[in-house]
Amino acid sequence: MTRDNSVSRVDTIGDFIDPKLRPFIKLPESPSEKPHLIGSKCSSCGEYFFPRRAICPNCLKDEMPEDVLLGNKGKLYTYCIVKAAPLGFNAPYAIGYVDLPEGLRIFSPLAECDKEKLKINMDLELIVDKIREDEAGQAVYGYKFKPVSL
Amino acid sequence: MRTVYIIGVGMTMFGRFPESNVIELGRTAALNALRDACINKKDIQVAYAGHARTGQLYNRECGVGQSILWELGISGIPISSVGNFCSSGSTALREAWMAVGTGMYDVALAIGVEKLTGRTGKGRPLTSDGVELLTLMGFSPPIYFGNVATRHMADYGTTPEHLAMVAVKNRKNAGPNPRCQYKDPITIEEVLNSPVIVEPLTLLNCCPTTDGSAAAILCSKEVVNKYTRKPVEIAASALRSGPYEKCKDITTFGSDRLAALDAYETAGIGPEDLDFAEVHDCFTIAEIIHYEDFGFCKKGGGGRFIEEGISDMGGKLPVSPSGGLMSRGHPIGATGLAQVAEAVWQLRGVAENQVKGAKVAFTHCAGGFQDTIELGDVQSSAVTILKRGW
Repeated sequence: MTRDNSVSRVDTIGDFIDPKLRPFIKLPESPSEKPHLIGSKCSSCGEYFFPRRAICPNCLKDEMPEDVLLGNKGKLYTYCIVKAAPLGFNAPYAIGYVDLPEGLRIFSPLAECDKEKLKINMDLELIVDKIREDEAGQAVYGYKFKPVSL
Repeated sequence: MRTVYIIGVGMTMFGRFPESNVIELGRTAALNALRDACINKKDIQVAYAGHARTGQLYNRECGVGQSILWELGISGIPISSVGNFCSSGSTALREAWMAVGTGMYDVALAIGVEKLTGRTGKGRPLTSDGVELLTLMGFSPPIYFGNVATRHMADYGTTPEHLAMVAVKNRKNAGPNPRCQYKDPITIEEVLNSPVIVEPLTLLNCCPTTDGSAAAILCSKEVVNKYTRKPVEIAASALRSGPYEKCKDITTFGSDRLAALDAYETAGIGPEDLDFAEVHDCFTIAEIIHYEDFGFCKKGGGGRFIEEGISDMGGKLPVSPSGGLMSRGHPIGATGLAQVAEAVWQLRGVAENQVKGAKVAFTHCAGGFQDTIELGDVQSSAVTILKRGW
């Protein structure tokens, strides 16, 4: 059983997000909104990136690709269930690659680690949730994808 | 490029040697290579040392090659370090091959060394090099290969038993090889029932934590007759980095495909001409994918390839007759040169687990990840094709 670590108070959740992940996550500003990942899009060739890039590596023309909010729904490309966890992570947890509507395939922890409930190509949605604990035992948050059906 | 030959190779035992240090390991391998080549140390004109973790683990980022060779009285010549993930040793070999092949030097030494037992975090997977962002999100090499395995199973019907067969085969191959870390036979059931690291990969699907070193001495066609009548020719030494593709297929490694194509073209041969291969079986699923990426079988056919025994000792193309990373162990910077040393012994016909009449060998190692959240590719891949030179 996974414990639900979702934070409902949207005004404080930002403080718990890993400082290195904060630049990529757009938190909801009201309870009716959803979180989004922030990527970038090249103004010259239209290529999308996540995380944002300082220069478009595709055409080298756009040195300041603009920030864009990426679609917060995706499809599960592949996954695995971790039993021997790196330091700070609590096994078991699932982690995989998610296909976003913009044609990006990105690494992401998953909010469900029951093998029976995970299926390749299943629909997922972005959430902000606990991903690990720091040395002091403090919860550290980041982005995750969870099955839409659950 | 001039034709370049290997005239001597040397290795240490591979295993856990907490009492030894990187310099001692390297010294042993280099001395063994000098003796194997029957060469005077004064003949070595240039040297390259491959190592990937000595900085992180022992505060020795540079100068590993100089310190090792100083112990053997080899100094004053150009010596430099090569750090290139799991391909560090192969990259050192390639630098030596280019140094001799371009005509700048006649005799070169390449050494690879690593001591991984000094790392902390026992029972946890080795972290990847320089992937800060991925690591703080819970990434580790077995996680990457677990994701690879899940998708390969879904797309091609590969089974946990197929993966286990790779581990069983490589352990059987290791049996007669005294340099391997693990030599006792294992069964498919034992592999399936060993502790789960990252589902679908159990412990026996992963290569172990290992210390060791290996070295090779190269020379030009012009001087080879001075040293040996049985040199091994380096028919190709290819190195590629991961290509960047949007939404890449995780069940194939682009850097591997590029390196193999490059090597086949340089050597003027194809996979059908190989007598055996030593591949980078860091995880069992990796070996299955290598069968496909190197053209040993068609895409998706890797599971069937192991199941039909084609990569067994008695099969059409034995893979990792030395025992592979799975059983020999994987001291990162040493692996590429260990594969080459084992291949040289095969071509000379003196290997403990001999492929009968082997004349053409293929060795491959690869590693490293780009620190990006997008699905990238393996950062470096090296393929060496070796041929009997007599």
